Amino acid sequence: MISADLLKEARLRAGLTQAELARRVKRSQSQIARWERGDVKPSLETLRELIRACGLELGFELANYDDSYLPLIHQQFRLSPAERVRHMQHVAAQMIDLRRRARASLA
Amino acid sequence: MPELPYDAAAIIGAFRKHGVRFVIIGGVAAIAQGSPLPTEDIDVTPDPAPDNLEALAAALVELKAELRMPDASVPFPVDAKILAGNSVWTLSTSAGALDLVFQPAGTAGYEDLRRGAFEVDFGSGRTAAVASLLDVIRMKETANRLKDRAQLPALRQTLEEIRKREGRS
Repeated sequence: MISADLLKEARLRAGLTQAELARRVKRSQSQIARWERGDVKPSLETLRELIRACGLELGFELANYDDSYLPLIHQQFRLSPAERVRHMQHVAAQMIDLRRRARASLA
Repeated sequence: MPELPYDAAAIIGAFRKHGVRFVIIGGVAAIAQGSPLPTEDIDVTPDPAPDNLEALAAALVELKAELRMPDASVPFPVDAKILAGNSVWTLSTSAGALDLVFQPAGTAGYEDLRRGAFEVDFGSGRTAAVASLLDVIRMKETANRLKDRAQLPALRQTLEEIRKREGRS
């Protein structure tokens, strides 16, 4: 779904409909829809062409793999949306409190 | 126990009481979908239609909204006409920090975000439309501030995990 989400994000950022993007890249609207649903994955070269047609550039870089957020994401998934928000309100409150204490200790 | 920086349920409750049409965006929208990144305020995109601005003004009066400044807050005359005059409002309310953003970066505003949004129950039947994580990422990619860029890896990873759970990876 990474290619599907990137394509949809680029199209929406450009303010294009699927039909308008299809005309730009000389493909059918249904083909754009299949890519955006993830039914079919475009090649990297095709994805780059599609994103360029939206006036954007697909950047490439190699970075070290980092999955350190995964345990936190999975912890959040175990909660309901309302519980996630309540939990994070408390986390933010603790962060603000720590900052306040740090500033006070430096003053 | 430190004071909460914002009370999402209370703000949503006031908005719903006055019939405000809005979509929750930003950090709270991302958190509702599983993002592990905390935020210190709640961001909302209201429908800019005149009748909705009237409802929004009434809700903000009830929430005792003031302009949020670095070290204080400043009262201002809250009415629909004033609200229509600015695209971004950074507010302090009785339920905490609230930002109103009528046209978030990379979007066409309320109607655009409403299409991909879904309803979330924030407790006691206080439901609200929440922007899709894909739309939150679109906004942050377009805004392109350092703080937005720093959040993108975690948000993209959250989206990838959601897709896996949906069986669409």
